[in-house]
Amino acid sequence: MPPQYIVSAQAYVKIVFHTAKHPQSSANGVLLGQEDSSGQITIVDAIPLLHHWTSLSPMMEIGLDLHAESLGLHLVGYYQACERVDDTALAPVGERVAEKIKSGFKDAVAFVIDGEKFGSGQVPLIPYVAQGASWRPFSGTDPFSPGSPFQLSSADLAQRSTSWIRDGRHNPFGDFDDHLEDVTIDWLRNTASVPSDI
Amino acid sequence: MSLSSALEQLAIYRANNVRASQETFEHASVILKSAQQLGDDGWAVLEQLFLASVDIGRLDVADRCLKQLSDKFRDSPRVDVLAGIRMEATESTDVVLQYYGQLLEADPANAAVWKRKISVLRRTGKIDKAVEELSELLDTFYTDVEGWLELADIYTTCNRYSAALQALSHALLLAPQNPFYVLQFAETAYTAGDLPLALKTFLVVVDMCERDLDSPADKPPAGISLRAWMGIKLSSRRLMVNSHPSPSNTVIPKNLHLIEELATERVLAAYSSKGRKPEGRDVVVRWVGVA
Repeated sequence: MPPQYIVSAQAYVKIVFHTAKHPQSSANGVLLGQEDSSGQITIVDAIPLLHHWTSLSPMMEIGLDLHAESLGLHLVGYYQACERVDDTALAPVGERVAEKIKSGFKDAVAFVIDGEKFGSGQVPLIPYVAQGASWRPFSGTDPFSPGSPFQLSSADLAQRSTSWIRDGRHNPFGDFDDHLEDVTIDWLRNTASVPSDI
Repeated sequence: MSLSSALEQLAIYRANNVRASQETFEHASVILKSAQQLGDDGWAVLEQLFLASVDIGRLDVADRCLKQLSDKFRDSPRVDVLAGIRMEATESTDVVLQYYGQLLEADPANAAVWKRKISVLRRTGKIDKAVEELSELLDTFYTDVEGWLELADIYTTCNRYSAALQALSHALLLAPQNPFYVLQFAETAYTAGDLPLALKTFLVVVDMCERDLDSPADKPPAGISLRAWMGIKLSSRRLMVNSHPSPSNTVIPKNLHLIEELATERVLAAYSSKGRKPEGRDVVVRWVGVA
């Protein structure tokens, strides 16, 4: 039985804004969260890292080091959006990052964006979990449906985020790559784009 | 938005090869309403609008553009490629590959068609075949920098970093003045585990970006030179802890700790510039301070 994962509004909005900002390139980042005594994992925040060369590691390493533990949260997962709509594979680069995160947190999870579901009002996240040495899409109850171990903190988040993206709220969103080009971009919090009242 | 400002913006996108499809679509739609005044520029805008429409899924608009272009330029190889791109949006891979195959049979030297074919192969997971065709293309058109970069990108996503470095070194030979390619080479070398080579190449990036400034020491690094300084900091710090072997036999600089100190100073300079508000300064300060 896998543990329960709850994706908070803040983390979810950041993942989908990051994806929407870069429709033609891959984008990735990491997930921060905490585990309570019953084993439930809350994914509190997402840190958007790269969109230039997601398969190269030095800036990834720096990005990981920079935010680490700064907010009193653990590194619990990884997310990536691929270049192509129909590509939902984690391998090979995502697997390496996810594996590294797993070495510090055993119930690490990775989300790959499902381009076909993006913007449809459904939750476009495919959870990958570690099975032995490899990572596979979670095979139990449909993720984010009732009874699944994967849930959003509020059910209407997917729809609300879609309408925010239609309004262009994701345009000022920035990741670590953007920040390296212009250090005034707030990649850690993204207060300019993420709605404060969610 | 006025016609002239929309035209200007579109020309900038074309010149800089920016793929801002949604914006292009909106600008170009303004222009098309007054298309008759455009003259020859109009055709370039039409092609631009076609590509943007395919990108954002407005195939109805794409079809109208393509019709006008193919009526005007019959048998143009450039329009043939556009027709192929339109087919890729809805037709099966086999149909598209067959179409490109026919075009190549008629004109084996049409590099644009050849590249589309390779991109379809790569996209459908036929990586070996894509690499084979791309290598053959680069045998024929050695000076195609874009092709070498694509080859490097394919190798990188397959974790074949030394092959990626080889492909990038051809791009560097062909375009030695472009610091972005050097930066990509440095980051690839780092990922490949060749830290001395990564350090050396990050230093080349800084040299290229800052050597023409009057007094570089007084100016905070910006753009890719900040990225390079961070790479220098990262590589030199790791090399000070233990000396990594270098597959390329690159020599580790003797004054490593001076380079490391300078990198610290330069990274911090980027975060202490007056007048603007750098974000996340505290985490960077902590990062450079960790020995």
